[in-house]
Amino acid sequence: MSAPDLTPQEAARWAERCGQPLRADRHVPVAATAQYIHSVVALLRELDFGDVPPAAAYRVHDREEEQFDAAV
Amino acid sequence: MQPYELSLSSAAEEIRARRLSPVELVDSVLERMERVEPRLGAYVTVTAGRARQAARAAERAQTEGRLLGPLHGVPMGLKDLIDVADTATTASSRVRAGHRAPRDSTVAARLAAAGAVLVGKTHTHEFAYGLTTPQTRNAWNPDRVAGGSSGGSAVAVAAGTATFALGTDTGGSIRVPSALNGVVGLKPTYGLVPLHGVTSLAWSLDHVGPITRTVEDAGLVLAALVGHDPRDPAGLDAVTHLDYRPTGGTDLAGLRVGVPVNYYFEHVDPEVESAVRGAIEQLRDLGARPVDIEIPMTRYIQAVQWGLMVPEATAYHERTLHAAPDLYGADVRILLEAGALMSAGDYLRAQRARTLMRREWTRMMTDVDVIAAPTVPLTAVPAGQETVTWPDGTVESVSDAYVRLSAPANITGVPSLSIPVGRDRAGLPIGMQLLGRPLAEPVLLRAGHAYEMARPARELSPAA
Repeated sequence: MSAPDLTPQEAARWAERCGQPLRADRHVPVAATAQYIHSVVALLRELDFGDVPPAAAYRVHDREEEQFDAAV
Repeated sequence: MQPYELSLSSAAEEIRARRLSPVELVDSVLERMERVEPRLGAYVTVTAGRARQAARAAERAQTEGRLLGPLHGVPMGLKDLIDVADTATTASSRVRAGHRAPRDSTVAARLAAAGAVLVGKTHTHEFAYGLTTPQTRNAWNPDRVAGGSSGGSAVAVAAGTATFALGTDTGGSIRVPSALNGVVGLKPTYGLVPLHGVTSLAWSLDHVGPITRTVEDAGLVLAALVGHDPRDPAGLDAVTHLDYRPTGGTDLAGLRVGVPVNYYFEHVDPEVESAVRGAIEQLRDLGARPVDIEIPMTRYIQAVQWGLMVPEATAYHERTLHAAPDLYGADVRILLEAGALMSAGDYLRAQRARTLMRREWTRMMTDVDVIAAPTVPLTAVPAGQETVTWPDGTVESVSDAYVRLSAPANITGVPSLSIPVGRDRAGLPIGMQLLGRPLAEPVLLRAGHAYEMARPARELSPAA
C-alpha cells in the first residue's frame, strides 16, 4: 500500500514508456498529481476480489452500425 | 408572466391551446438572453437565426394542427459536448478550434424530431473534466461558481435563457450545477439515453440527461430521449417505458424512502442538511415511510470513481494530448497527463470493485424504493475558492466535495434526480437527490413531482 513517492524522473520515464512523453517542466507537477491519484486508488488493494470479474459493457451480439436505419 | 418564465409543461399547454406561438416563446427567450447572457456567460454559441427559422416552421405546423408533442416549438440549450450537425462542438476547449459536427448526436436528432428548438450550445467545464465551469456565473449570485460540468445548461435554465437543456454526468455533472442553481437535473440509468455523438469523458461513467425547471418537465424531456440506439455500446435494448410524465398526485403512501445513516450526511453544511431533512419530512407528510439505510462500501467510492474516470479520460484524449498539450487548460491537462501513469491493474481493480459495489447496492435497494440525500454537501462557493474546511479540521478540495455525493450513482449506474429544496441564508439554492433502482425513473419522478406540488411555486433566478 505505502509505495515510495513517485519521483519526477520516474514520472518522466513512465510517461515516455506509455507513449506520452512529458516536457521537462511537466515532470514535477505530473509526478505530484500522479502520486496523489495513486494514493486514492491504492485503497482498492485492500479488497479481496476472489473470482469477481470486472464490470464491463461488452456484448457479443452488438449489431453493426451500418444496420442502424432510424436515428429518431 | 413572460413566455421565457414558463416551465416546459406550461409552455407546451399554451402552445397546444394556441394561446402562445413558438415564435413568441423563442423570441421571448432570445430577448431574455440578450439582457442577461452577457453577465452570465452560459452559452458558447447562440443560434438565434436558426432558432427563429425553426420557430417559424413550428408556428406554421401549430397553425395547421400538426403538433409534434410537448416539446413542439420549445427553446432548448444543449451542452457543448453534444453534436448538432454543421455546428461546432467546442467542449469549451481550444483543442476543438475549427470543429464541425458532421451529423446530429442521437439525442439532438430525437429532440429536433420532437419539435424542440435549439437556441444555443452551453458552456461546460473543459471536456466535462471539472466541477465549476469557470466561464459561467451562478444564476443566483455572479460571484459564485455555476457548478459543473454542465454549468452553462443549469444556469441557462435557471435564468430563463432556455426552457430546458441537456447536460452530461460522469461524476455529478448534471446534478451538481442543477443543485447549485436551483433547477431540476436528472441523471438517468446508465445506458437508458444513447450517448452516440456526445463527447465522452469516461465511457463507463457517462450519462446524458435533462436539466429543467420542474420534475414534470424532466419527465417530458426524458420521454423524447429514451430508446435503444445500436450505435451506443452501453445502450439498454429492453426499454419499453416511454411515458415519463409523473402521475399519482401528491399521495406517496407506501413509498419507502431510504435515509442514509452514513456517508451522505457526513461533512455536509448544516444548512444543506437541515433543508434536505426538512424535505424528507415533507415526503413523510405526503405518505412516504422513511427507512434508515446503511450505504455499503463508502470507503472505496472515491477510489473507484477515480480508478475508472482518470484512465478512461486519458485514453479518450491520448492523441490530442500528445499533439497539442498546450491547448488544454492547466487543470485538465495535468489530470490527463497524470492519468497516463495509472496501471492496468489500478483500472481493473476499480472495475472489479464496481462489480462488488453494484451488487451491494442492489441488495440495499431491495429494502427501499428511493434514497433521499443531499446532492452536494455545500452550496455554490465563491469563484476561485479551491478548498473547504469542515468543522473537524478536514480540508477537502471543492471539486472533491461537489463530486462526493453524486459519484455513487455514476459508479452503480442507478438513476438520480436532483430537485431544489430551499435556499441557504445567503440565498443560494440547495439540492436534494432521489436515487432509485435501475430504470426506476418513474418512481423518482413521481416522488419528486409530489414534493414539488406540495411546495410553493418557485421563481426564476434573478440572473443578477
